[in-house]
Amino acid sequence: MAQRKPVRWHIVVFLAPAVLVYTALMIVPLFGTLNLSLFNLDETKTRLFVGLANFATLFGDPRWSGAFWNALANNAWFFLVHMLVQNPVGILLAALLSSPRLRFSAFYRTAIFIPTILSFVIVGFVWKLILSPIWGIAPGMLDAVGLKSLFAPWLGKEEYALTTLALISVWQFVGIPMMLIYAALLSIPDEVIEAAEMDGVTGWSQFWKIKLPLILPSIGIISILTFVGNFNAFDLIYVAQGALAGPNFATDILGTFLYRTFFGFQLQLGDPHMGATIATAMFGIILVGVCFYLFAIQTRLRRYQF
Amino acid sequence: MGTLNLTKVTKSFGATDVIKGVDLTVNDGEFCVFVGPSGCGKSTLLRMIAGLEDVSSGDVMIDGRRVNDVAPAKREIAMVFQSYALYPHLTVRDNMGLALKQAGVPKAEIAQATDKAAAMLSLDALMERRPAELSGGQRQRVAIGRAIVRRPKLFLFDEPLSNLDAALRVQTRIEIARLHRDLGATMIYVTHDQVEAMTLADRIVVLRAGRVEQVGAPMELYNNPANTFVAGFIGSPQMNFLNGEALGLRAATVGVRPEHLTLDRGAGKLVAKVSHLEKLGGETLVYVVNPTHGLITIRLFGEHEFAVDEEISLNYDENKLFFFDEDGQRLY
Repeated sequence: MAQRKPVRWHIVVFLAPAVLVYTALMIVPLFGTLNLSLFNLDETKTRLFVGLANFATLFGDPRWSGAFWNALANNAWFFLVHMLVQNPVGILLAALLSSPRLRFSAFYRTAIFIPTILSFVIVGFVWKLILSPIWGIAPGMLDAVGLKSLFAPWLGKEEYALTTLALISVWQFVGIPMMLIYAALLSIPDEVIEAAEMDGVTGWSQFWKIKLPLILPSIGIISILTFVGNFNAFDLIYVAQGALAGPNFATDILGTFLYRTFFGFQLQLGDPHMGATIATAMFGIILVGVCFYLFAIQTRLRRYQF
Repeated sequence: MGTLNLTKVTKSFGATDVIKGVDLTVNDGEFCVFVGPSGCGKSTLLRMIAGLEDVSSGDVMIDGRRVNDVAPAKREIAMVFQSYALYPHLTVRDNMGLALKQAGVPKAEIAQATDKAAAMLSLDALMERRPAELSGGQRQRVAIGRAIVRRPKLFLFDEPLSNLDAALRVQTRIEIARLHRDLGATMIYVTHDQVEAMTLADRIVVLRAGRVEQVGAPMELYNNPANTFVAGFIGSPQMNFLNGEALGLRAATVGVRPEHLTLDRGAGKLVAKVSHLEKLGGETLVYVVNPTHGLITIRLFGEHEFAVDEEISLNYDENKLFFFDEDGQRLY
């Protein structure tokens, strides 16, 4: 007399709102984009299925592939600057903030975090003004300390522009790794730190041997957030350098490249199909990066319970 | 070697005085227990000896050397924390060896020291595990092992058994006592549990509100308490405090231990009503109420039966009474 389990409708009902919203806003557009990248227009402007021909154009046509690899290389450098500057500085700031001897730490914490909540429009525009060789305050400030010779129109020179923008982005977002690491440092119990003090593990060696291993999982999370954020970046470049990502595409990253292609800019006509192709390539790059993190890195990181 | 001297040691957090002048000497090889209710400053005092809290005034001397301004690691002491405070990312072996490694001791020597400590605490099989893979009792043993490895002058224990269950607590208590005998080291142990204090200590320091109430061997405190606080704190169940004048005795308060009260079905010195009975098998605790003296506990050996609200009469031996004045100080 096996009684059949009643259908548990409440599970479906409770899941439905989130599933529906997520499907409508994320899944459908994603597959729409992937689908769009498989079509193109023929001479008579009729849409037809072209298979992977768009990808062949993107990677095969020298003009397309040149622009694509330029954007990808710039993006990689953009990401590298964040990993080498933003995250170490964020960790350093968090370590300083968590020091019990530091006064006004709440003030510093807030002050450093404020740029993160500013609009990228303001950040991009303000830095453009600051660094302007004509009306910017940077030349004057450098002059005041006798270092005017160091000044260069950083946003206008091909060799500096991308790094400058990356550092502006670091300035804006350094508060996020700082806060995450700060929270992770606070979660280390006092007694563990005191035990280290008793064992003679103090100062920097305490940071390297005790605290850093315990915050590694947080550093992993920050790295992957940085990766996804950087390869989706668009706004700061667009505001500071426009959609052409000048000078001479030196600051062109995948986001701006996608924007120009999809929507068109100045003399360039918008091409949704090639745009979708670039978007699909970006999706693939980020997917590979996240999978690498999830399967190769995160499984090796230990989370600790205290 | 490991002698500790505290001279007029005080500690204030802002305007709050937590330790109000403690003088104490702990001799080499002694097992000294700080006991007192929560908030009495016993843990703070231990942390001051460890160097984890600054001393506001007075001197802390270890082996005759003033260590007030010496960093914790340089005081040659080891501490076992209530929460074990093991390094979660290191194996048992590395947890125990970290201090030596930091001090630059050669690897072979570290391995020898950790192996020896592991053998003493039967941790041999667990050396490559991490703290998350150990039970509470095993973690506590690792924490003790970490202290042993450093061969300190002084062992400090901060309520090390309070996170263990009752059975494990008794077992670990025995283990700590054995360890003290084997190592012959000076140990200072903080607890709020007077049973731990009585069973482990060579000498007990009873603290209340930042002051030492009495220092002495367990039986000395039990048989000769200096005031009502010590009398009430040492011994379980707690001593009964009776109104001296009502009994016609020349003292404000008269203390009598539950085990020194006897039952007298006929004419006892006190009549009271049974309010509650606790039968523990080996002994029976009878709680009785008397209008002038309040709740009185009687400890009887063996099994006894009483009805609630039954009137019984009690007797006591005058030689086993403790007499206290109005301020709770012992008269005789």
